[in-house]
Amino acid sequence: MKYAFYPGCVSRGGCPELYPAAIKVAERLGLDLEELKDVGCTGAGALSSEVSDPINARTFAKAEKMGLPILTLCSTCQGVMSQANLRLQEDAEYRQRINEEFLAEEGLEYGGTTEIKHMLWAIIEDVGLDAFKDQVVNPLEGLRLSAFYGCYLRRPTDVMAPEPYEGRKRYLEDIIEAVGAEVVETSGKSKCCGFPILMKNERNSLQMAGDHTSEAKGKGADGMVTPCPLCHLNLDGNQPRAARQTDREINLPILHLPQVIGLAFGLTPKELNMPRHIVSTKPVERKIPLRT
Amino acid sequence: MHITLNIMRQAAGAPAEASFQSYSVDTAEDATVMDAMLQVRDEQDGGLGFRAGCLRGFCGDCAYRISGTGDLACLTPIAKVAKEGAVNIEPVRHIGLLRDLVYDLDPFLWDKVKAVRPGLTAPDTPPAQEALMEPAVVEDLQTVMSCVMCGLCDEGCTVITVDSKFLGPAALTKAYRTVKDPRNSAAGLELDLMEKPHGVWDCTHCYEANGHCPKKEINPTYRILAVREMLMERGIKNKAAARYHESFTSSVKRSGWVDEGHLAISGIGWTNIWGLMKFLPTALRAIRRGKAPLPYLHKKRPGADRIKRIFEKVERK
Repeated sequence: MKYAFYPGCVSRGGCPELYPAAIKVAERLGLDLEELKDVGCTGAGALSSEVSDPINARTFAKAEKMGLPILTLCSTCQGVMSQANLRLQEDAEYRQRINEEFLAEEGLEYGGTTEIKHMLWAIIEDVGLDAFKDQVVNPLEGLRLSAFYGCYLRRPTDVMAPEPYEGRKRYLEDIIEAVGAEVVETSGKSKCCGFPILMKNERNSLQMAGDHTSEAKGKGADGMVTPCPLCHLNLDGNQPRAARQTDREINLPILHLPQVIGLAFGLTPKELNMPRHIVSTKPVERKIPLRT
Repeated sequence: MHITLNIMRQAAGAPAEASFQSYSVDTAEDATVMDAMLQVRDEQDGGLGFRAGCLRGFCGDCAYRISGTGDLACLTPIAKVAKEGAVNIEPVRHIGLLRDLVYDLDPFLWDKVKAVRPGLTAPDTPPAQEALMEPAVVEDLQTVMSCVMCGLCDEGCTVITVDSKFLGPAALTKAYRTVKDPRNSAAGLELDLMEKPHGVWDCTHCYEANGHCPKKEINPTYRILAVREMLMERGIKNKAAARYHESFTSSVKRSGWVDEGHLAISGIGWTNIWGLMKFLPTALRAIRRGKAPLPYLHKKRPGADRIKRIFEKVERK
């Protein structure tokens, strides 16, 4: 299956470990990625839709021209793009206005047909769990992982998990089980990591990160897996500050989705850039079988 | 239908001693949760405390956690929520209790609503003619005005969970109704109030509020985002939010994508020495681990000039 690949800003910026890990995993899964190189940031909810809708329409138009669905690596990119796409698909007049005002001068036009899928969705819906499991050569037996989705991969529900995709609310747990690990349920798995308000209310943001990571740790998780690099920035990058603010010892490794998959596919922690994390991933590494 | 109601009870001022009390009732098949609660109070325990107003989803008084999910008791069929013949009824989260299920609504809801001044202000000079409004505007405002102030959106709010002072989606949705009304001559002042600490910029736009609102068409998170768009257009006055949005916008406009290093520092503020000092250990850790490789370079993406043109076109409007 071929995709127009939209890696987003953070997989090459604040989480440079994610991009190469995703590429390696995609190769093994037969996800053929053709990168969209000359497209812009989705706006991440920080830009007004007046600016971000034309930027996203431009991205969708380029993928449409290639005849490919878009594949994302980030819950936030996915959420912002899904909502923008819905606005453009449902309102032909609006789409036409954006085409004429912004895209026409580049010879682009968005017809409203582009599909956008997070890698997590593509694995379950396009590759299928059975084919996925065929690639597991190093089952992560004994490893206890909690899921952390990131708000925008789950909500608004009518946009992100409409019928018949209600199962998307459990895809991450499906992957954890498919790699042979055990799911540790937490109440915070679909809540906000706090990243969107880090620059506006640091105290609240770090409290959220501290609460979610310590809940998982308290329930016996060896690590947490997230399909969102922005969540990773707060849960991993800011975990030491969150621990200090909330006066807790946390030290919970936070893994990107492709890293967990990569470990089960026989890649080493180093090949998956895990030493780059702020919180050491050694507790996870110690519990997984060595590659033979 | 035979049902066991497990109702969370507590004496006034004794939250630590809250516990479930069970009541068995025979109700009609189509009874609501509130029907069963009233039956308990009428027939078994006149001392059970809860508010019951209109009994038809209009007053918002009977918002509880019913078998684990926030909903209005008067609109919830008991057969739908009963699990093995039992229904648990608890107060919503984050709320103070006067006793049993009687809420202390002032700190949870009304003080926050008052803080955003929910009313219309007439212009100093009376208009020469009746204020006419576009039908689409009226329809939008009427949708928001169908809010019954039950507080269930605040109950689901991820920010109130960590900060009880956050204005919350209920008050901010009320404020949306005020600032979007073209007859209001003081919308600017109300926008200022929303920008204060614990206000609209503290929302994580996690969309929980949309799912927790019992009226599916109100969508409080969309209202908060619409207010933010108004503030972006007007010029953000909240300093932290202004720094963040200015830095984010200039970064994408300049290079096509987000310059996170620049965003982190300018978001704190280049002259905020204490803030930068607090951030320094994180930055050093990121450099040591190779998470922020040196030299730090943020290159323009291909097509960045096209992205810049989109910004410029919008700015010229």
